[in-house]
Amino acid sequence: MATPFNALLENLRTTRVWKSIFRRGAANTNRTRSLAIFGNLFLHWLPVKVREKSLRVRAAYYLGSLSLLLFIILVVTGVLLMFYYHPAVPNAYHDMKDLRFVVSNGVFLRNMHRLGAHLMVLLVFWHMFHVFYRGGYKPPHEFNWVIGVLLLLITLFLSYTGYLLPWDQLAFWAVTVGTNIISAMPIIGRKVRFVALGGNIVGENALLRFYVLHVVILPLLAFLLIGMHFWRVQKDGGLTVRSRGEDGTNKD
Amino acid sequence: MAQTKIESGFNSDAKKEPRRIVFITRNTSAKVKDERGPKLMTYPALMVREAIVFEVLVVVMVLIALFWDAPLEQLANPLLTPNPAKAPWYFLGLQELLHFFPPFVAGILIPTLVVIALVVIPYFKINVEGISLCDENAGQRVGIVLGVVVGLLIVLAAFDAWTIIVPTFVVAALLVDYDLVHCHGDLSDSRRNFFPRAGMVLGLALGDPCQLKIWASCRTKYG
Amino acid sequence: MSDAKQNPLPEPSRGKPEVSRREFLNEITLGALGIAGLGGTALTYQYFSPNVLFEPPMTFRAGNPDLYPVNSVTFLQDQLVYIVRTSGGFYAVSAVCTHLGCITQWKPDADMIACPCHGSKFHPDGVKIEGPAPRPLPHFAISLTADGELLVNKLETIKADKALNV
Repeated sequence: MATPFNALLENLRTTRVWKSIFRRGAANTNRTRSLAIFGNLFLHWLPVKVREKSLRVRAAYYLGSLSLLLFIILVVTGVLLMFYYHPAVPNAYHDMKDLRFVVSNGVFLRNMHRLGAHLMVLLVFWHMFHVFYRGGYKPPHEFNWVIGVLLLLITLFLSYTGYLLPWDQLAFWAVTVGTNIISAMPIIGRKVRFVALGGNIVGENALLRFYVLHVVILPLLAFLLIGMHFWRVQKDGGLTVRSRGEDGTNKD
Repeated sequence: MAQTKIESGFNSDAKKEPRRIVFITRNTSAKVKDERGPKLMTYPALMVREAIVFEVLVVVMVLIALFWDAPLEQLANPLLTPNPAKAPWYFLGLQELLHFFPPFVAGILIPTLVVIALVVIPYFKINVEGISLCDENAGQRVGIVLGVVVGLLIVLAAFDAWTIIVPTFVVAALLVDYDLVHCHGDLSDSRRNFFPRAGMVLGLALGDPCQLKIWASCRTKYG
Repeated sequence: MSDAKQNPLPEPSRGKPEVSRREFLNEITLGALGIAGLGGTALTYQYFSPNVLFEPPMTFRAGNPDLYPVNSVTFLQDQLVYIVRTSGGFYAVSAVCTHLGCITQWKPDADMIACPCHGSKFHPDGVKIEGPAPRPLPHFAISLTADGELLVNKLETIKADKALNV
């Protein structure tokens, strides 16, 4: 296809500038395809080759991948929402109204973020059940399962801290009930509630603390644990798929 | 080539004629692992599939986000409690527990125990071979399960937690049925797994709508 | 040489295992790091516990006792406290339902405190009549200031039978 555009692209690819940025060349040989993974900062945790069977949808329904992709979508929409949100009382609520009625595409971003949050909780639960049913937690994968449980807890906390941020009636009272439960802990309950809320009541301190947790601390923790989680899966051999013998029984 | 007897060891020809050395004990044969199938290059095979999954996800989410708006209620008012004050959907079960048990038990103790139970799953070899309930020590195993369930029912009854009792009771009843019919009866393999599964499904089907207060008969006086 | 006979080197005490310099220094270092870690945790906890709160104060004055007629229940909305005056004295009863934290309401016609969320009902002294609330409404410490005003301290709960006699 020797269109002028293609010719232009090919010329571009031979320039020094291009070659200094994209160093491996076109990915049309197995060597350059390997380099596309192995030489890439963001992808080099993946193996260069994957088992064909692990690519099937029925293998794991791409649940882990979906969780990660949803995390990325949530981070992007979340950061965009941050530009118009003040974590103060009562500005937070008015900012939510602004996002809906005043900011261009604000309502869409907020919908995506909230939808993504609900889907995320659903997907990670589904992923956990699926790994359990398939026995993916058995040795030597035990600690990866524990990391997964920690990720589940982080997801739930992220969702809960984010729930307060709109500062509407639903948010306020859901958090009031939740923090009253914290004070039911023996001995340290009231102190933990005091530190979590930054005071005795659910007020501006609580909003700010939940905001920092939601936007910085928990996403950082999640990012680290997701990295460990994926790394372990690939180091242990990727999605191992059971093979079926001729008599139809499952073999391991 | 020797058919029945293979000697193990090295001879001076080992380098010239490399042989796979197989150790044979008694009459067992060496276990050969199944080949796990061919491999493909990650780029493009996996990368393209991930891109497709991502695009499908984004398309579905955008379609939903364009038509359904996220809710926003009135400004938070510390003096006015809405009725009902609901937690997000994934905490609804927990909130229901709070109606029956004291806050420490329902809010701290049970969630902590659940998390510990989850974390501990891979470290216990529970029925790794996948032996059905009836095969080995049937009486003892069924007895243990039933004992735990009856204990749970007594605790739930003590706290008047009727909405949780019903599905637990149904599951226990199906378990007893399974024990009577299958462990001591004669059922084919395909029906072996029916009763526990049906019990789980039925239990969940009865339990969840009850906890979400969809059934009118489950509504307590307190809303 | 004669020195060695007259002043023999002290023998190592029996029964105690010898610790090498390396092990000793390692233990000292770990101990120091441990103390530093504990100190760091304590300081972090201090950092996160605010010393100044921009909230309605937890200790407040409720005015002159004569403002409250005998056998009355007065709801202080800013503080979420009921000032209950009986013939026996004053109680400061919390207006926050012990079930899940909703704000209760005083119903004078029915002579009871009711929670709108799940239907818990209490007597004016906080004792539960019915409902899912696990405990009675707590009583806060109530006292008199030097100039004769009621002082309520929401950080301190007292037994329900203690009334402030004026």
